[in-house]
Amino acid sequence: MNGIRTKHKWTPYVWLLPSIVLIAVFVVFPILIVFRLSFSEISKAGVVGGFVGLDNYKEAVNLPAFKTVMINTLWWVLSVVGISTVLGFIIAMALNQKFRGRKIARSVLVLPWATSLVIQASVWNYIIKYEYGSLNNVLLNTGVITQAVNWRSSFQIEFIWECTVGIFVTIPFVTFCVLAGLQSIDNELYEAAIVDGAGFWQKLRLITLPLVKPALTVSTVLNIIYVFNSFPIIYTMTKGAPANKTDTMITYLYMLSFYDRRKGPATALSVIGFLILCVCAGLYMRFVMRGEESA
Amino acid sequence: MKKIVSMLLTGAMVLSLAACGGNAGSTASTAAAEATTAAAEASTAAAEASTAAAEASTAEAPAGEEITLDVIICQYGPNTNEWFLGSGMNGTNFVDKFESENPGIKLNLEVVSWNDVYTVVDTRIANNNAPDILNIDVFANYATEGLLMPVSDYCPDELFNDFFPSFIEQSVIDGTVWAVPDLASARAMFYNVDMFDEVGIEVPTTWPELEDACQAIIDFYGGDVYPWGIDMTTDEGQAAFAYYTWGNGGGFVDADGNWAVNSDENVEAIEFALSLINNGYTNPNPATQTRYDLQDMFAAGKMAMLIAPNQLPTYVADKGGEINMATANIPAAEGKTSSSVGVMDRVMAFKDDSAPDQAARNEAIGKFLEFFYDPENYVGWVSMEGFLPAVNSAVEALVASDPSFEAWLDVLGGCQFYPTAMAEWDQVKQGVINAEQAALESGDIQSELDALQDALTQ
Repeated sequence: MNGIRTKHKWTPYVWLLPSIVLIAVFVVFPILIVFRLSFSEISKAGVVGGFVGLDNYKEAVNLPAFKTVMINTLWWVLSVVGISTVLGFIIAMALNQKFRGRKIARSVLVLPWATSLVIQASVWNYIIKYEYGSLNNVLLNTGVITQAVNWRSSFQIEFIWECTVGIFVTIPFVTFCVLAGLQSIDNELYEAAIVDGAGFWQKLRLITLPLVKPALTVSTVLNIIYVFNSFPIIYTMTKGAPANKTDTMITYLYMLSFYDRRKGPATALSVIGFLILCVCAGLYMRFVMRGEESA
Repeated sequence: MKKIVSMLLTGAMVLSLAACGGNAGSTASTAAAEATTAAAEASTAAAEASTAAAEASTAEAPAGEEITLDVIICQYGPNTNEWFLGSGMNGTNFVDKFESENPGIKLNLEVVSWNDVYTVVDTRIANNNAPDILNIDVFANYATEGLLMPVSDYCPDELFNDFFPSFIEQSVIDGTVWAVPDLASARAMFYNVDMFDEVGIEVPTTWPELEDACQAIIDFYGGDVYPWGIDMTTDEGQAAFAYYTWGNGGGFVDADGNWAVNSDENVEAIEFALSLINNGYTNPNPATQTRYDLQDMFAAGKMAMLIAPNQLPTYVADKGGEINMATANIPAAEGKTSSSVGVMDRVMAFKDDSAPDQAARNEAIGKFLEFFYDPENYVGWVSMEGFLPAVNSAVEALVASDPSFEAWLDVLGGCQFYPTAMAEWDQVKQGVINAEQAALESGDIQSELDALQDALTQ
């Protein structure tokens, strides 16, 4: 008896050890280094100097583009996560119905998610290109438009395109999370509801949503982290041009560090970003833990 | 206990997600990792080959005095890797050939893409692991921070005197030469000769003539052809700044060599460039259409004129374009002289206080340079990617192999360079790009350049 108890005590840690070591070496350690760097003077060539207190943070917050970039980041996360969650949910509902070709539809759906984002963004660049983009070609040949349209005529429109691509590649993840949730719902619940005379909206509100909620929470919070940290779409499509007006925090701090070579404020910004995500993650943990306790 | 463990686990999971950027980063980085694995495999093969060569040569070298030089070379094109590490140098490669000719010196040579090289070098410097020899474009930050050795410490006199003096001048800070040029390219205006004949216009040399030519092309082709190309992208918007301001007697610095980005000449020049865009004479999205986009349009016959480097004919041919093109001076403001834009990259050597025998290390670096610039090796290297040479001894052989080089060497003789020796250059470069891009939206270049100048002179 005693022996079994001891075994129980340490076996989980043995199994966890490889991941803990990996996370410590590749995640925790670099994070600590960035924290240290953000309080140090860093030269243009990358030579690390002495402690400078909050100077890097002050410089970062006072950058002329700081406000634009924060607002862009907020829009980017809200629109991509929000819209892709709604659309992903609807698609998951559709894919949960029985119909011919369902398997094919499900596997096609995973493609945007399974393709590298750099490739996706480059392909979209070609699609919306003014000169020989396929969107203009298709619309011209089908007679929808008579003259080629400049799909990227202003930075607002450029940013909307970037969000659109973000939504496009995020939908599959939401769909599959929700689909997994939907499949675990016992069909008897719906049958009982139908017997009681419930309509589509009542079934959605009283059965589907409450039971899919855990899956939706997971996908939303993970998406907030993914999308906040997403670099390739914006870097590939505009590099933040014109004048940082389409940058989000992640692309901006990269430009700041490796184009402007202002490494101090760049590290400070990355710490700020990390803290924002920690708050999101903390809220998520509280949310999930509370859900588990009440269940 | 169970709860704490599960808390910890969730924490670790979220932390790792937050840090690695999730599916976005991981798919991209998997692809990158695959690419690097492939590259690593290739270089392992090369390393094995070179080990074999080194083993052969150590027999002659005095034991215990072997020097290994860490070298970083930028990837100029698909052939760079083959040349240095594969079999692109007449069946052998740079590293093997060097090591067999210089027993006792080993090269740990890495070819790094231009996209990554700044990250790679900065990280290595931050970790106290700078390369011995670096090939890159900029040098001022490294020099002013005391990381570089003066060229006179390691470059043999005969080789030093072989460099074009106007090139060497670009790498001087406080009277000391900190780097040597590895190669150069020069920019000129290219135009589509057939289009010019069809429309019946002359090659423009001044800004008013350029406007007239653009209007004539618009009138003739309607909207099907862009008369002129402008690139104000984050990649190379500083080139546009140079083309127009230098053509109006302005530039990044004044006659005394102080920053003067908001001079009247500069404002006038950029306003002229913006007017070309606003009149519909150019490609529509200059903030995101890179020079390569413009070159593609030119190759496809959708653009009549653009400013491009001397490699454009090769680029167009590689794309399968058959454009009858010719070059001319970059148009300048009326009464001002046209000046070409030269772009130069460099080779420099970092200090390494931990090296046991500094004199031997310096000598090894000198041998590397002598081997690199030996016409037997250098001519193949420069012509392979279509660049222009940096040393006199290569000129004759290059002109013999391709007579069109001669005209470009003349252009190179008269061109101006970016002020890369000044410590604020990175800030100025990104600053003028930002100013241009902001002015594309607001139309107000004056206040943008004023703000940049204020930031520089603070």
